[in-house]
This record gives sequence, C-alpha cells and structure tokens, in this order.
Amino acid sequence: MTELDPSTDEAERLITAALADHVRIPAPRRLRDQLVRAHLTVHKPWRSVVVGFALGAAMAAAIALLVVRPPAADTVIFDEAVGDHLRIVSAQSPLEVASSDLHNVKPWFTGRLDFVPPVSFVGDDEFQLRGGSLAVFLGHKAAAFVYQRRLHTISVFAFADATLRSRQETTSRGFHVIAWASGGFGMAVVSDINWDDLRLLEARLRN
Amino acid sequence: MFLSRKPRLTVVADRADAELPLAEQALAYVDELYGLARHLCSSTSDAEDIVQETYARALGGVGRLAPRSNLRAWLFRILRNCFIDQARRKKIVLEVADDSVGERSANEVWDTAALDQLRYLAAADLERAIATLPIELRFIVLLDAQGFSEAEISDIARCAQGTVKSRLSRARARLRAALQGAK
Repeated sequence: MTELDPSTDEAERLITAALADHVRIPAPRRLRDQLVRAHLTVHKPWRSVVVGFALGAAMAAAIALLVVRPPAADTVIFDEAVGDHLRIVSAQSPLEVASSDLHNVKPWFTGRLDFVPPVSFVGDDEFQLRGGSLAVFLGHKAAAFVYQRRLHTISVFAFADATLRSRQETTSRGFHVIAWASGGFGMAVVSDINWDDLRLLEARLRN
Repeated sequence: MFLSRKPRLTVVADRADAELPLAEQALAYVDELYGLARHLCSSTSDAEDIVQETYARALGGVGRLAPRSNLRAWLFRILRNCFIDQARRKKIVLEVADDSVGERSANEVWDTAALDQLRYLAAADLERAIATLPIELRFIVLLDAQGFSEAEISDIARCAQGTVKSRLSRARARLRAALQGAK
C-alpha cells in the first residue's frame, strides 16, 4: 500500500468529522406531520369500540345542537368537502373514471349529472389529472375531479349550490379547503398539500 | 373476536425502544433519511417525496422485514431504491462511479494552512464537494458518515464489501481533491 504523508490522513480525518456533522438534516415540519398523519394513526379494534361509543354520544350531542342552531352553509360545505375527500383517498378504487385526459373525464359525467362541471384545467406537470368520480355534495350529485401533486391527492368538487357567495379558505381536520362560486356553481378544492400549492391549483382551475 | 386484528409489530431487537410499534421506531430515523435524500436530490421537494415514498413502502410492506432485522439499514436500502426509481421516472441518468480514478497519492501533502481551512470548513464548501461525487460514491460516503459499518453499507448498496471499501476510499480522495481545489 502507498505510504502517505501524515497530513493526508489528518485531512481525511477532518473531512470525515465534517461530513458526520453535516449529514443529518432536520426533516421539515410539514414532512414530519404528513408522515405522522399517514403512519401513526393506528386502528386498534378495542379502541374503535370505545371511540364508537364516544362518537355516538358526540353525534347525539351534535344533532341536538343542530336542532337548536343550524350550522352556517359554508361550514357544511367544508365538512362535506373534507368528508368526500377522505372517502376518495381511503377507497380501494377511488376513481370511477381513471384518466389523465380531461376530454375523457369530463364527458364521463354526461348523463350522470344534471349540469356540466365548470372544470377546464387539463392538468400539467405540477398537477396531474388522475380522473374523476361522482360525489354526493349537500344531498345532490356532484362531480369530483382528482389531481395529484407529487404524492399528494387533491380533490376538486363541482356542485350545484347557490349559497356560496364569497371565496373562503379553512383548515378542517388538518386538510386545507378553498371554496368559491363559479358561474352559479360551487367549487371546493381539498388536500393535505400546503396553502401555496393549493392556491396555485385554484388559480389554474379559475383560468 | 376481532379477526382483522393485526399482530403488534415489534421486530427490532437492536434498540432500547424495541417495544414501540414499528412505525414509531421507523419515524425516529426521519432526519437521517431526509439528510441523505437532501444530498442525493437536487431539490427539497424531491427529497421530501422520496422520504415519503420510503415510509410508504416500508410501512406498507413490513412483512418483508425479518424479525431482528436492522430496521435502520432496511429503511436506507428502501430510500436508495426510491431514489433510483425517482431518477428513472424523471429520466435522469445517474453517473456511474469511475473506478479508474486514483485513490491516495503519495504526493498528496496538506500544509498547515490547508488543514486549518478544513478545521473551519464552511457547509457550502462541503456541499459543493459532495455534489461533485458520482451518486454511488456520494451514497456510500454519506452512509459511512451516518455511522454505518462497511458490512451494513454493502447490504444497503447491494454490492460486495470490497467494492464498498474501494469506493469509500475513492470518494474520500475525490472529496479531498475537491476541497483542496476549492482553496
């Protein structure tokens, strides 16, 4: 083996030490949160029984409250949007029409809805269209378009509703929701992506 | 009786927290995995994606992790596969390690001033030097910096231990050359 100058060994030792200090980078908070949400929500049957009772009691209380004071229409829209989004991401086959071509997805709703969903964004490199599905929104059939950004699923709901007057944003159960009115229809986008990305998609849907 | 009940996953015996559920044990390595991903990927979003994919694959396929396996090494192996898959999807050609590059030269000498510069090395200079390495060399030298043994690296990188040794030596030589050239 080649005999080395001791200074080379010292240089190597210093570089190795610098690498060891440098190699671990704290993961961003949002990445941690996503991983915890995705993998640490453990379903334990004994817990689900307890949770079931608790949910039953909570629902009874909620119904009692609803009778006294109906929630604002917008709150219902946000809850509905998050609930439908969860159904999409948790379903085995969430898409009734799976295609990245809007010209396949949009016509699929013809005959299934009594309106044409006001969605014309075909998708791009940042937001890929994955397909569409029927949803039930506020008791009426609605269109759900599903886009993907990296590993995130984004649901876009188009529904016939005239109660939504202004654009609104909210976070419900950790999901970001933006809702607005478009040509007499209601629109809602829901995802666990960050606000900037969700607003970017909203802008593309509005164009 | 709950037929759908899954067995509690406590497969890692080499850690004090072996009684924790697997997901919790795995998430303890997120900074190390993200650190490696950041040095391999060109953007933070790509790094985040492969870390997410690593956990999705690992925790979605726990059946493949044998009892008493090295969870940490297994996660890094999955991350490597995710990185290679991401590069394929993005049609990025990964540079192959150049085995012809010399390792340690008897002519290499570091004077006191140069060694002092290494003692107070700026993170940006080190990052630039790391970025000059072909992916396989970068991967191996970073695993070494994470404290993995050569045997563990050979298992993670799927190559012979002798290959790990020689690549590690070449990677260090290239880093020295890059840092000496940066003076």
